[in-house]
Amino acid sequence: MDLSQIIQFTFSGLTLGSIYALMAVSLTIVYNASKVISFSQGEFFVFGALMMVTLTSIGVAIPIALVLSLVMAAALGALIERMLIKPILGSSVGTIVTMTIAISLALRGSALLTWGRSSFVSQPFSQGEPLRILGASLQLQVLWICGATGAVLLLIWLLFERTKVGLAMRACSDNSLGASLVGISVRRVNFFAWIFGSSMGALAGILVAPLYFVQYASGVMPMLSGFVAMAIGGMTSTLGAVIAGMVLGFLEAYGIGFISSQFADVIIFTVLIVTLLVRTRLLAGEASSDEGGM
Amino acid sequence: MKKTLLVLLFLASILLFSLSPITPAYSADKVVKIGGVYPLTGYLSWLGEYYKKAAILQVDLINKAGGVADYKLELVSYDDQSSPEEGTRAALRLIQSDKVVAITGTATAAITGAVSSIANKYKVPAVMSSGYDLRPDKEPFTFNTAHPTFFAVARPFMYLKKQGISKVGLLMPIGSLGEIGTANAQKAASQYGLTIVAEEKFDIKSPDVTAQLAKLRASNPEAIFSFVTGEPAALVARNMQQLKLDIPLIVSHGNATPGFLKLTSGLTTVKLVVPSGEIMAPDSLSATDPNKAIIREFNKLHMERYQEPANYFSGLLSDAVLLVVQGIRISGSVDPEKIRDGIEKIKSFPAIGGVYNMSPTDHYGTRIEDMIVLTIKDGKWQLIQ
Repeated sequence: MDLSQIIQFTFSGLTLGSIYALMAVSLTIVYNASKVISFSQGEFFVFGALMMVTLTSIGVAIPIALVLSLVMAAALGALIERMLIKPILGSSVGTIVTMTIAISLALRGSALLTWGRSSFVSQPFSQGEPLRILGASLQLQVLWICGATGAVLLLIWLLFERTKVGLAMRACSDNSLGASLVGISVRRVNFFAWIFGSSMGALAGILVAPLYFVQYASGVMPMLSGFVAMAIGGMTSTLGAVIAGMVLGFLEAYGIGFISSQFADVIIFTVLIVTLLVRTRLLAGEASSDEGGM
Repeated sequence: MKKTLLVLLFLASILLFSLSPITPAYSADKVVKIGGVYPLTGYLSWLGEYYKKAAILQVDLINKAGGVADYKLELVSYDDQSSPEEGTRAALRLIQSDKVVAITGTATAAITGAVSSIANKYKVPAVMSSGYDLRPDKEPFTFNTAHPTFFAVARPFMYLKKQGISKVGLLMPIGSLGEIGTANAQKAASQYGLTIVAEEKFDIKSPDVTAQLAKLRASNPEAIFSFVTGEPAALVARNMQQLKLDIPLIVSHGNATPGFLKLTSGLTTVKLVVPSGEIMAPDSLSATDPNKAIIREFNKLHMERYQEPANYFSGLLSDAVLLVVQGIRISGSVDPEKIRDGIEKIKSFPAIGGVYNMSPTDHYGTRIEDMIVLTIKDGKWQLIQ
């Protein structure tokens, strides 16, 4: 094992981790505001990426195509929220989650009809050689993903700490009955959360797709890995989601590099199982020590 | 008088016309049906379309040339919807309702297995075209025009050997496909005196395999073999270019498609090696190649009818139809069991996939040398050996 290999494992971990982190953040935003795990995030990922591919292929410059794709994803999210989610607000979480699964299947079918079965190559944001250190290399797009994730974290912090809308979202998340009693429109907050969440899902797709390829069914893997990162990160913490995503990426890459690549497909799920078991034990431990004080 | 003359002239011309060589040799009421089970919908539909187009074209060509024996050939095809269950239904319908004398099609081992099972139960020859492994002792009615998986691994290894390469690294998908790839690679390596220096695995859904490639690189391979198709194959190539691993990358023979050319556009330093059939390079074949004329002719007619060249998959179905027809000719019968016996007797029969030599123990009939290896240059397929 030489230094070049170790650096490459690190770069691979950064690549994987940045994907998991960004997807987890988009899932956490929606969950925070509506207490719903939106299973259609994977399809917004695909929609954003395929819109980007279509626009750039007809000559639209990357920054403009980016903004247009985000706007269209937000519009799609708004349409879906108004027509399909709003009517069932107030139903059980199970009902709403099932609806998001149905939306996911419908969106995937629409993507198939629009773009067909082909896989597409998406243009990276910057042309040029990968970053090279001692024979190891990192695609420049990964730096864009990390930068964008940092920007999104800052944006979310500003939103939740410094704006009325953000405070309203936090209030709804903590106690929706209490929030509505003080005049916060839960429906409006939910609407905003969906628009924001769908744009973030699309942004994840736009940023990540240049690393490999995208087709109508490409949303499944990011959805799954993003969900695992979100679950490990604590479900409600955006910073937790980013840290968990990065840690998962590094664990996977180091596991492949230092242990064996045989189990590459089960590493992140193993980490999830272990985390949930340990967390349950810890919580159970706290509860029983509380009872002792009685 | 004039009227009578006209009527007589009219009758005479009809008589002459019916005796002329323009009419086909078969009599209009003698029809023999060949069945087709093709994935026309579902994830394999891109492939099923090529299969059906090629079968229709080949059946038309045979009928234009006079049919087979006294019979006009008719193709009856159903969609297996890329699923084994529907494949079973389609095969049953073809045998029981349409009374076909043979079945052609389909893709993937799973669907092929389903169709083969029915065909053997009802003793109807099934000339399949997929990666399904034949066992003529257990399924004596099944044939396969697709080259055996081992050939598709051995042929590129034969090419490596000729290039003076001896060390190969394996990057295999986790799962049964990877196991098949590894087993065939080890067999091919020992046949051609090559060494497998290292093996790594990867999840085909993974967006990055640079960690695995960095590990493989440490063993100094002179080529990498990854038994994957489509996106994962293109990803391995892309990551190899990223790591400046400028050695040949052998991928599966399922990659000889226009879609793969699109996925690998922009890759300039990786030398992709894709095994396939001669039909993929019709103009580069040697003048002494017994298949050259047939391949070029079929390609030309395919181009005329469908405005796109024939490809490896078109060739498979064209051969399937030809083999059934040859089976009818040799046996002199349209009884399915006799047709099967006739197919088994085919010897030195040049077609698109090779020169077929069948036997009761070999239901493929082709050789490793019938395959070629291609690379991609300037977004197009190029014959390298």
